[in-house]
Amino acid sequence: MDDLGHPFPLPSAAPRRIVSMAPNVTEILFALGLGGRVVGVTRFCDYPPETRDIPRIGGLVDPNVEIIRSLDPDLVIAFRGNPLRLVERVRKLGLPVFVLDIGRGLDDLFPLIDRIGRVTRAESRAAEMAAALRRRVADVDTALRGIASRPRAFVLLYGQGLWTCGGESYVSDIADRAGGVNVAAALPKKWVLYKREKVIQDDPDVIFILARSAADFESGRQRLERMPGLAGVKAVKDGRIYEIDENAASRFGPRLVDVLVRMAAVVHPERFGGMT
Amino acid sequence: MAVLVLFVAGLALSLLTGPVRLTAGDFVRLIGHPDPVHRAIFIDLRLSRAVLAFLVGAALALSGAILQGYFRNPMADPFVVGVSSGASLGAVLATALGFEAAAFGFSGPGLLAFFAGLGLVSFVYALSLRRGGFKVETLLLTGIAAGALASALTSFFLFMRSDSYDQAVFWLLGSFQIAEWGQVATIAPWVVLCLGAAVWLARDMDLLALGDDTAQALGSPVRRVRKAFLAMSALLAALAVAVSGIIGFVGLVVPHWVRILIGPSHRQLFIASAAAGGTFLLYCDLLARNLLPAELPIGVITAAVGAPFFLYLLHKKR
Repeated sequence: MDDLGHPFPLPSAAPRRIVSMAPNVTEILFALGLGGRVVGVTRFCDYPPETRDIPRIGGLVDPNVEIIRSLDPDLVIAFRGNPLRLVERVRKLGLPVFVLDIGRGLDDLFPLIDRIGRVTRAESRAAEMAAALRRRVADVDTALRGIASRPRAFVLLYGQGLWTCGGESYVSDIADRAGGVNVAAALPKKWVLYKREKVIQDDPDVIFILARSAADFESGRQRLERMPGLAGVKAVKDGRIYEIDENAASRFGPRLVDVLVRMAAVVHPERFGGMT
Repeated sequence: MAVLVLFVAGLALSLLTGPVRLTAGDFVRLIGHPDPVHRAIFIDLRLSRAVLAFLVGAALALSGAILQGYFRNPMADPFVVGVSSGASLGAVLATALGFEAAAFGFSGPGLLAFFAGLGLVSFVYALSLRRGGFKVETLLLTGIAAGALASALTSFFLFMRSDSYDQAVFWLLGSFQIAEWGQVATIAPWVVLCLGAAVWLARDMDLLALGDDTAQALGSPVRRVRKAFLAMSALLAALAVAVSGIIGFVGLVVPHWVRILIGPSHRQLFIASAAAGGTFLLYCDLLARNLLPAELPIGVITAAVGAPFFLYLLHKKR
């Protein structure tokens, strides 16, 4: 059964020609060692670097049905971020389409990996990978046991305006699991445009900037520091502004555990031997 | 005749262009031992899409030709009585509520768009019937007001659910991305039926041009004729919107081209508008698919291509 409620009969043999319609799916397929079977990816699929030479099917919201059909896949893995009407169109061509939903929190990652493992008949590798990731998450949980305080964190998406993650975003969940509190967690949205005065009022202890490069991070940090009124915010005063790899954090894939470890280490340096 | 040549050429181009490079030879080889991938691309994707674009163009142009006669006003188009605003509200509402199940070859938003479009027209019609009999002007103004209200609600839902915006754009500007034979089968009979009925009643439409009273005096059952034409045009527009979203300009401009070229007799006007509208939209879709690596919404093309051509015809005539 996929996340649209369509029954999905497991293939008797492992699929040999897989089309991935989302970057996180591509990433998981490669992590499972199935990269060689991926015959089509979106133009946003850039991790791992080996994806560069794979034919592009278009973007996340504008995949091209004709190109997908021409690749003659025996498995298409779609994502709820793909327009449903296009996913349905691919299904009507008689191709086996498996649709996955995006997770609400970090714990949804493991079943996602398991299910991708099942439809690609790589069950045991998927189980190993999920177990290894779970262990790393458990290590973070252990390190944070009995923390005295939960620093307040503001997560900024680098770019125009103060975009931050609301309570429905899995990034908010990760900040929480890292022993912090997302200041925008009460907003019932995935991503929201935040107000500057709200940031001043929230007075976060740490600020994370999701940036694609060190240069972006640097310019984002300078912009924050120069914003009128923000100089008095605790995180800015204490210089606790940290870079988070946007590429890893924006995809619901295995690198989210790296994001968790990074966030936990900077939110609670006392528990991680001061490594930041 | 010229339209037929253009249509055949457009159909051939539709089959042979696309992101996947295939040749006429590949198409011919379908007859012998078909390659399943080529078959799917030629027949299930490209041909169904071309045929659907033609049918929708025919429906919109015919609907526009009918309404321009109905209102005796060259500014009328399928959307002036509220079909488009009602339908966009329905489609955006369906997307916002996550109502995406499909039935009868329509997607969830398509289905809701169809009923909301027809619903708003019926509402507008019922409103303009009250208070001392029916007047065409009242219908037109009620339609515009109700349409504005529906548009406001549409914008509101779009704003509230900004994450469905990408999807909504393809509704609000139209697209044949998801064309398939099921949609063709759903709308084809209605388009043919309405064209037949419109041609059959064309003589009465000619009489309406002389004024309702004169037409009545000449033996035309004006009230019934008006009802039938209004119902047909609304049905055609709603069907078109349900399968392809809102495609502007075709219904407004194509009947004018045809009138400039062949004159105002409604029998010819209806037939030629349908043929020309279909062919026009077929070419617009060709551009929408092939102009950029990513697909454009077709509404962008219809206006960009249709408007200059219309201006040219208008001024050449003077």
